[in-house]
Amino acid sequence: MPSSDTQPVAQPTPVRDLRIGVYICRCGGNISDVVDVEQVAQASRHLPGVAVARIHTFMCSDPGQQAISEDIQKEKLDRVVVASCTPFLHELTFRGAVARGGLNPYLYEHVNIREQCSWAHKHDPAGATAKATRLIAAAVGKLHHVRPLDQVHLPNHRKALVIGGGIAGLKAAADLAARGIPVLLVEASDRLGGRLNDWGRVFPSEQPARDLVARLVDQVRQEARIEILLQSQLTAVTGFIGNFQATITGPLGPAGQAHTTQATVGVIIVATGFAPYVPRDGEFLYRQSPRVVTLPDFIRGLGEADPQAPSLLWQGRAVRSVAFIHCVGSRQLDGVHEPQPDGRINNYCSRVCCTTTLQQALAVKRQFPGVEVFDLHQDIRTYGRGHEDYYIQASQAGVVFFRYHGDEPPVVQVDPADPDAALRLQFKDYLTWGEELILPVDLVVLSVGMTPGNALVGDGDHSLAQMLKIPTGEDRFYQEIHPKLRPVEVSVNGVLLAGAAQGPMNIQEALSAAGAAAAKASAMFVKDDVELHPFIAAVDPELCEGTGQCLTQCEYEGALQLVEQEIAGQTVRRAQVNPGLCVGCGACAAVCPHRAINVNGWTVDQYDAMVDGLVADLAQPAAVA
Amino acid sequence: MNSPAPHAAFTPRILVLATEKCAYPGADAVGKAHQEYGANAYVLRVPSPVLLPEDFYLRSYARGIDGILIAACGSDCPYRGAYDRLAARIDRLTLRLKEGGLATARLRLTAICTVCIKAYLKEVGQLDQTLRGLGPVQRDIARQLWEASLQDLRAAVSTAA
Repeated sequence: MPSSDTQPVAQPTPVRDLRIGVYICRCGGNISDVVDVEQVAQASRHLPGVAVARIHTFMCSDPGQQAISEDIQKEKLDRVVVASCTPFLHELTFRGAVARGGLNPYLYEHVNIREQCSWAHKHDPAGATAKATRLIAAAVGKLHHVRPLDQVHLPNHRKALVIGGGIAGLKAAADLAARGIPVLLVEASDRLGGRLNDWGRVFPSEQPARDLVARLVDQVRQEARIEILLQSQLTAVTGFIGNFQATITGPLGPAGQAHTTQATVGVIIVATGFAPYVPRDGEFLYRQSPRVVTLPDFIRGLGEADPQAPSLLWQGRAVRSVAFIHCVGSRQLDGVHEPQPDGRINNYCSRVCCTTTLQQALAVKRQFPGVEVFDLHQDIRTYGRGHEDYYIQASQAGVVFFRYHGDEPPVVQVDPADPDAALRLQFKDYLTWGEELILPVDLVVLSVGMTPGNALVGDGDHSLAQMLKIPTGEDRFYQEIHPKLRPVEVSVNGVLLAGAAQGPMNIQEALSAAGAAAAKASAMFVKDDVELHPFIAAVDPELCEGTGQCLTQCEYEGALQLVEQEIAGQTVRRAQVNPGLCVGCGACAAVCPHRAINVNGWTVDQYDAMVDGLVADLAQPAAVA
Repeated sequence: MNSPAPHAAFTPRILVLATEKCAYPGADAVGKAHQEYGANAYVLRVPSPVLLPEDFYLRSYARGIDGILIAACGSDCPYRGAYDRLAARIDRLTLRLKEGGLATARLRLTAICTVCIKAYLKEVGQLDQTLRGLGPVQRDIARQLWEASLQDLRAAVSTAA
């Protein structure tokens, strides 16, 4: 290897004879009140390869962007620098302007002289001006090592995998199939419909839940494009958007062998729903007294009760009074509630339990007017359209409301003198002055909240979250990228969320989310191929000698491999990147002795050149490194 | 090593390698909050500092960068295994500086989050003070270490092969 003064390592020669345009933004004074932009422009004109350096009051405005596009044509520019605000605001804007001028959009470098210069060095205008110039020199230096890049195009497999056959999964599958997209619907249990199979009537329409389920199940079953796998789970997945390879494991066959299905799908919709919170043994005497039940148990029991029965019976015993306790397993407080097995508390509101509780309280009152109904809440959150009516009607029907504080939860006790007598419910009521009350009640219904249903599909490394790399929030539910701007999308391209897997929501909301997920999935299939950004590893075939060093660093299975190639009649091994699996971290780049592998747009040579720009003697034109 | 006497007239050149997901927006947050630090700190954006080899750092010193702050994502690193590999590399690099006679304080690895304004100001400020005490980087030493690191990089391959 040559060991000249400046280049002890062989480096690709910089691109020569460039015509670079440098554009400096005043940002209406945000930059130019501190940075002397005239001086920066003047110094920029001396940088190697710079053909024009211009100043504009707002580069991001239409005239500002147009100046770039026009100069590319008029001045025959082949590289562009804009020095303005943070790249997170306008890097894409200016790449667009560069593309409109007819240049490859990646022959562009963004320099941040607002957030990281004028705003941070307000009292040092001379320092800020020098820094802005040096940052531009770095960008110009980098551009001497930048080559055009193309978006990565990959084939798009027009098929969707929907995980979960509850109401959200059914809706997503039905919507996709209606648009002509084949669907593989995988359900862990032995029937479609999920939690709604065991639900009574749904608010606010008071339709039987099973009617809703039946309609969707019929639709899904009649759709030839939907393949349904019951008692099945996703057990392995590789690949990426447009190209997921999924392994689905079914029930054990007669020979004791599980049946597995392989499928290639372009998009995955996760609709694994929720699981009702299960109280700890002894929490409000749950599992210690048969007269303490959860809200889902109660709904099921009430649904099975004889509508002609003169009185409410629970396990054969007449019930004269029922108390509903809100927020069981929700809105828990540190230091008051015992943590869950993973050490966390459920500090979130489960949203749907208030209205469900009032609906059930009202149902009891209407069916059995003689039964006394008590409602113990922290707050009543009947947030949805038509939900408040349940509160009003429950009050009118004679449900008696009490309010407890979260740090003083009610206490349920068995009468020590007579275990067969009514339970004693003790609490302080803050609708009054905190009066201490003891109510005898025959049945206590715990309004349990929602917890993530992904526990259904394995734990730890085999959980869906691990397999699909979906981030989860503090509440353990799957987390979308942006709750407002990008709902139902997660940080993994090609994976979408539908329904309560994403957080507590009611049926209406779950169906909206499922519809949104199906719409976004359909939109992904508008094109025959998938376009990905080009910032992934790339191998320079001229420099690669097949040492395999890069492979030892790669954490992403299949992203990088050595393949045999014919070069000049010889069979040699060369590194090859799978663009769909590479995430562009660059761990491979740091160990290549030939700098043959680099992350597109962020090569080590480019970093070297940027450093040279930062330290260049700016009094005279710097040499091209 | 230089004498520890402060170099009053000397302004160090500080390179900040800031991760795209964490420290770079963190540095933006400092400006947005109109908090000030020295104009001698230059931020370069990186997807992950793991992509930079040891020779990059040593070459930077040889070119006249007096101190380098690696502002990474720490445990929030979006890339699998990248932070551990980075930390291991920085350990080796630190050892190289120490054995070669370049102050290890010229290199700092820290985690800066998207809103870590105070941490950013503290790290940049402390490095600036340290470098002012140390004086300009000894570019000739850095140059020797740079070349040695490149030789080792190539040797690693011949050993592996």
